[in-house]
Amino acid sequence: MSAGYEILTLGEVETSPHLGSNLIPIRYLLGYRAAGVNGWRADAGGQLIPPHEEDSGNEELYVVVVGRATFTLGEEQRDAPAGTLVFVPAGVHRTAVAEEDGTILFVVGATVGEAFDGGGWDTFAVADGHRLAGRMDESRAVMQRAMEERPEMWALPYNLACLEALAGNADEAFAALERARELAPAEELQEYLRGDSDLDNIRDDPRFAELLA
Amino acid sequence: MSVDVVHVDELDRIELQDGFVWRPVRRHFGIRAFGVNAYTPGASGRVIEEHTERLGQEEIYVVLRGRVRFTVDGDEHELGQGQLLYVREPSLGRGAVALTDDAAVLATGGTPGEAFEISNWEFMFPAFPLLAQGRYDEAKQMLEEALEQRPGSPQILYNLACAEALVGEPDGALEHLKAAIEGDEIFREHAREDSDFASIRDDPRFPR
Repeated sequence: MSAGYEILTLGEVETSPHLGSNLIPIRYLLGYRAAGVNGWRADAGGQLIPPHEEDSGNEELYVVVVGRATFTLGEEQRDAPAGTLVFVPAGVHRTAVAEEDGTILFVVGATVGEAFDGGGWDTFAVADGHRLAGRMDESRAVMQRAMEERPEMWALPYNLACLEALAGNADEAFAALERARELAPAEELQEYLRGDSDLDNIRDDPRFAELLA
Repeated sequence: MSVDVVHVDELDRIELQDGFVWRPVRRHFGIRAFGVNAYTPGASGRVIEEHTERLGQEEIYVVLRGRVRFTVDGDEHELGQGQLLYVREPSLGRGAVALTDDAAVLATGGTPGEAFEISNWEFMFPAFPLLAQGRYDEAKQMLEEALEQRPGSPQILYNLACAEALVGEPDGALEHLKAAIEGDEIFREHAREDSDFASIRDDPRFPR
């Protein structure tokens, strides 16, 4: 296959667990840059979309590609067989569950008037999936590649620190937090450090207190 | 804007000249943040026109139903429901024909690093079935409205000139054709071959 194009079979891609749903990390796998694109997969009764609102101002379109889903949009429930398109503006609470095994959603989202610049959360979901499957080397490699592409983005070393802390690797976690500290506004970072349960494994380490000082 | 749910079969059907049917998704919902549309096969069995992305867009095509044969960069790939084709490189030629009558393909695209703007063709394509059916006055009116939305668009100017030539308004046709060519030289070549301009080709003002 040439480098100029790629084919994905959404039912076969390894999903990443994310907030009780199974993410098909389409944007991450393709390296797509023009908008946020992703997929969700679930069997009958399973959660497709983690319940949330888009406080970012994103417009989002959900497309049922395979199977059947029930969407809950605000207070309203909607039946959505394959071929259904569901548009949800920012600020509306949304979730969906699968009604059939192997149900697949395709999602496109972006912010009006802005060039797409997202793609942090899904990269992290992929890395976290590797961690949960016991593949810490792959988890690190995903974050390292992201940091090489976006060296200015402090959230990336910060998220790597979360992964290392969750895996019980204190030294690696502090090395990553040190990198985050060099890039991040001090107050913002400290606010995250105080409230983030992902870091509980390293919270009692004296090095943690130094970061808050 | 509010929540809106629609099935792909309920979207407008706009049959285009190559024999495929455009199902306007972005326009239906009034989406302004990204480009998205669906296509179903028409008379010719084609479902995605043969094209390149001259404006530098990357595109994803998702098969929503049926089976489809894509041709991309000269390679053929058969895709079914739940498979997608991502074309990263805008200059690669791509297109698709339906292998089953029920085929439906969703396409989404945009230019990396740029905020999405509605493509000129979205304003222009609704006029094409009218032109094909000989409803030139209605097509002309639609293209005039398109030009108001996208002032100076060479593609819209060119197609407006076609409609004007077909309704017998040579002055408007020649003026708009000239403006189209000033915007993009490629339309000088198109105009030479285009039978829509038969009524004005002998006019001394016709661009050579």
